[in-house]
This record gives sequence, structure tokens and C-alpha cells, in this order.
Amino acid sequence: MQYQSHKIAQNFYTASVLLFLVQVVVGLIAALQFIWPDFFILNFNTIRTLHINALVVWLLMGMMGATYYVVTEESESELWSVPLAQLQFWATVIAVTAVVAGYIVMGLNPQTNTEIFGTRALNEGREYIEAPRWADVLIVISVLLFLFNCLMTVFKTKKFTAVQGVLLGGLTFLALMYLPGMFYTNNMVKDQFWWWWVVHLWVEGSWEMIAAALLAFMLHKLLGADVKVLAKWMYIETGLVLFTGILGLGHHYYWIGTPEYWLWVGGVFSSLEPIPLLLMVWDAFRTTREVRGVVPNRIGLYLTVAHAIFNFVGAGLWGVIHTLPQVNKWTHGTQITTAHGHLAFYGAYVLLIIAMIYVTLPSIKGVKEFNQSRGFQSFWWMTVSMIFIVIAITGAGMVQTYLERLLGLDYVTVKASYNLWFWIFRALFGVGFLVGVLILVKDILGFGQKPAA
Amino acid sequence: MSTNAAKNLFIYGSLFCFLVLVILTIDTMGKLDQRAPEITEKVAAGKKVWHKYDCIGCHTILGNGSYFAPDMTKATERKPKEYLKKFLLDPRAIKQDSAMPKLGLSEEEADSLIAFLEWTSKVDTNDWPPKPILASATAGRTASTGQMLFQKYDCAACHQIQGLGGTAGPDLTHAGLKQPDVEWHIKHLKDPAGTVRNSAMPNFSHLGDEDLKALAEYLITLR
Repeated sequence: MQYQSHKIAQNFYTASVLLFLVQVVVGLIAALQFIWPDFFILNFNTIRTLHINALVVWLLMGMMGATYYVVTEESESELWSVPLAQLQFWATVIAVTAVVAGYIVMGLNPQTNTEIFGTRALNEGREYIEAPRWADVLIVISVLLFLFNCLMTVFKTKKFTAVQGVLLGGLTFLALMYLPGMFYTNNMVKDQFWWWWVVHLWVEGSWEMIAAALLAFMLHKLLGADVKVLAKWMYIETGLVLFTGILGLGHHYYWIGTPEYWLWVGGVFSSLEPIPLLLMVWDAFRTTREVRGVVPNRIGLYLTVAHAIFNFVGAGLWGVIHTLPQVNKWTHGTQITTAHGHLAFYGAYVLLIIAMIYVTLPSIKGVKEFNQSRGFQSFWWMTVSMIFIVIAITGAGMVQTYLERLLGLDYVTVKASYNLWFWIFRALFGVGFLVGVLILVKDILGFGQKPAA
Repeated sequence: MSTNAAKNLFIYGSLFCFLVLVILTIDTMGKLDQRAPEITEKVAAGKKVWHKYDCIGCHTILGNGSYFAPDMTKATERKPKEYLKKFLLDPRAIKQDSAMPKLGLSEEEADSLIAFLEWTSKVDTNDWPPKPILASATAGRTASTGQMLFQKYDCAACHQIQGLGGTAGPDLTHAGLKQPDVEWHIKHLKDPAGTVRNSAMPNFSHLGDEDLKALAEYLITLR
């Protein structure tokens, strides 16, 4: 069945992968700035802000596109309002462009970052949520319009499926958890306390809910697996994600000026966080094994299973190695965190969105068969490069922890001399990753234009 | 387990966990003010400077941030304020190879930022960052008077000897080769800015002639 609403999903996908390309280009600039700080006209702080904001926004846009698709398909109906969805898409694109322009202006001349209404005009100077207050308001409006449209579709058709429930529940949770980042406090400890509510409850709470729902959706769509069984495991996975993840927030409250009991709360609950992620891997394999016959969309399945595996390895294993307070005391604030961040986001969310795109794009474009080799090429370029990037940063983090934290060497000495080779490796594999992204963008933008080879 | 049971467990279990989080949050909020010094107007102004220049885009504070530049939580604990101020106003005038560019801070902004960093250095962080084990192991080792003075005034906060120590000031591994004159060192310790152009080092004239001589004699042994 072809829907008008699917075109909206496709628009979101296109914007997504283009922003992904921007993210990786600025990421490469940032990697080179570790070797030559003056490499680019913009300083590292602006480049880094762009790198991470582009990531967050393209993943969110990917999730929005995916959700518009899922809601349409599960409800077997057009969206409640297609023009509203179109408006929401363009409003988002314009707002994002304005925010990025603001960051660049601020980066070229910090004095432009004046104070208005008790907050900053162009860049709030708060990691990840640098977007100024006026942009926060636009983001909230955009997300509310999006949620309203999806929920109205579900209420109109009254098809309350399990996948839609968890997906829209996760998105509502996501929207609510943006609010604790939208007020100013002159206490840095309280500032970071609420800031972690946003950051942690997004990536280790609501986003993982969305991931569990999309995983169930993809396994059903690709393999025709039993919806009831998928739904049961989805509830168990999401439940465990939240039981461990919500109080796992404590692992960010060890050293920021918060009471000591968080060492226990964070240590115990966050150590359990890999369990639901391992369950998702098992779920993906079990479902795949049960299927008889050929799966036509091989690349879609490949990416789905890869997402489950790297979600566990990146978010689970690379997270749990430094989550205990006894270890974290030495590694907190080192490159170990950077390594975890890279592999976790790649596995948990980058592969998830790319998988969703490959799983749904054939039916959006109305193609039965398509050339899958470019998808595989981009997957291997990106994955192998990311593994080596993460190995390089993990090595840098281990050297840094040992020399700086244990032996007491100066931060700058360790970064500039002992870790130089790691920065060079990281930048080289960054080029490899960029190659993978270029192949991906080309494949997605030209998807289905040529007949299968 | 049936699908419905799994669904109920997920919904009510999650809500319960969230409720526990809210209770812990309320308790924590009540305790935070006692775990940090009072926030004066200057500290509050300094925090705004921190945000204005997006310092966290390179540095970390309380261990959170961008891992591109040193952690600022305890920056004022070892580095002299005179140095920090001059550095903030024009980093590369003080330290040529600094990765930090000149951001255009005013004198007033630099003062408030330092007040803010003094505040963060006094937050009770459950003993983070931990003291490096080597520093603990070598503390109290017998040394010459000059060497002990070097330790007492924490010269290593800014100066490196044989790879150990800060990079804010020049490396002193070969200080005695570069400048073998005891009198020069005494003069420099008394008035750094008058002896070396653009020096951000505070003066140590309060040490007294005897200690200054001992320190200078130690410095010329570094070859």
C-alpha cells in the first residue's frame, strides 16, 4: 500500500543523511584539531558543538521519519494531517539552519553571544544542549506538532498496536525530558544535575525505548515474525532498559558535588544496563533463525542485526567497563568516555536509523528489488573505520588515565606527546568513515532510480 | 510470561523507578547547598562568562565536557590567580604554544570567571579528582632545602622537571643550563614580569633572601 504520508518520511530521511554527512565532515575537522588546534577558521568548541548537535538532530529527524512511516503502516491509514507533517518538516529544517548559523557567528565572534532574557542569544554554552532558549521553544513546538499528528492518527484509526504504544510512549518521554534543560540556575552543580536528566534519560531511557520498538517493527517487517512474540519481548526489553536506566542515571552523579549515596545507586543500577541490550541481540538472532526461506531485503536485516550487536558492545560493554565508581574515579572525564560515546551512538542509534531507512525505503519508493551492494559497501567502510576509531580513542584513554590520573603527569603533556599517534590513527580512520558515509548518502538519495543490476 | 503481564510489568515497574528517582532528586536538591560554598554575585557572573564563551566546548568541569583541554574543576587550586588572569586575557602571549586562542575576555570577565572557578574548586566532589598515586608515593622524600621549597610552593603546578609537572610555565628540566646565574634566578623570583617579558608568574619576594637563595641554588642544579 502506498501512502502520501510516506513522502514525509522520505523527506526526513533525506535531511537526516545529509546532516549525517555534515556531522562526519566536522568530526574529521575536530580530529585534525587534536593534532593542529588551529587547523580551521572555527575553533574546536564550535566544531565540536556542530559535530554533536548535527548528530542529535539527524538522529531525531531519522526517528521522526521512521515514526511517520510506522504510524502510517500500523494504522493502515494516512497521517491525521499530511500538510501539518509537511509544515513540521520545513519548520524543523529552517529552525536547525538558524541555530547552526548562530553557532557559526558566535564561533567567529564570541562577543555576539550576548545575554537576552537571562540566557545566551546564540549558544547557551551547555554541552549538547547549546541551542539557545528561542530555539528550545521552536524545538518543543516542532516535537509537539509531530506527536500530536501521530497520536491523532492512532486515535482516529483506534489501532493501538504494541509497537505504536512503545514508540509513541518513548517519544512522549523524550519530549518531556527536554524540559529539565530549559531553565537557568546559577549553581553549576544543579546545572549539571538537571542537564544529566536531559542527556541520560534521552540516550539511556527514551531513545532505547524507541530503539526497542523500531527493532520489533523491523524484525516483523523483514521476517514476518509473530507480532505477539515480538511484542512480549519488546515489553520485557523496554522494561529492563528503564528499570536499569532510570536509576542508572546515578553514574553521572558520582563526582559533580552530589551526595555519596549516588555511588551506590549509580554503581548497582548502571552495571545492569547491558542486560536488556544483550536480550535485544538474542531477540534479533532468535527471530532471524526461526525464519524459513529467503529474506529479500538482506541489507535491511544485516543492518538490523548489526544495530543490536553494536548497541550491546558500544552502549553496553564500553559503558560498563567504566561505570563502577572504583574505576570511574580514575577514568571520569578522560578519552575513555569519548570512546564509549562514539561506539555507543554508532551502534545504538546510527545503525538503527540507517537500518530503518533501508527497511522502509523500498516500500516508500515502491521498488521490490534494488541493488544492495552499495549498502553493504557503506556498512563495511563505516563499521571497520568506527572500530579502529574506537580502538584508537580507547588506547588514548588508557594512556591518559595511567599517566595523568595515576602518575600525575600534566594533561597537556599527555595529550600533545604521548597520545599523538592515537590522534593520527583516529583521523586516518575518520577518512575511511567519511568514505562510507559518502557511499551511503549517494545510495539513499538515488535509491531505486536504476533497475537492479 | 504472557504479553499482557510483560506489558504491565514494563509500565508499572518503570513508573515505580521514576518515582524513586524523583524522591532521590528531591533529597539531593535539599543537600546541594551545604556541599558547596555560597554563590556570591561575582561567582554567578563568572558562571555566565563560562557559558558565554562556551568554555565547555573544549574543557571539562566536574569531569563533564569536551575532553579537548584540561579539567577546570580545581584550576585555581594550584595555579596562581595572577597567572590565570593574564592567561585568560591573552593565552598565547603567556604561553606561545598554547592551544587556546584569544577569546576577547574583558578584565572584569576574567576576574568573575576566576571567582567562579574558585567556587567549583571548593565543591564537595566525593574526593574527585583523586590524588595521583605517584604524587602520594613521593611526598615527604628527603630533599635539599631548595627542593623542599620547590615542593612547598608547588612550583610543579606550572613547571615541569623531567616530564613531571604542569605546562603553564616553561619547562625547568634544564633551567641551570639555560640560566646558570644564581643572582639572575633570585632577581627573577623577586620580580618575574620585570625580568622576563610577558611573564605571568606571580612574584615570590615574600620568601625572604635565605629561601630565595636556596631555591635559586636548586634551580641551577637542573641541567
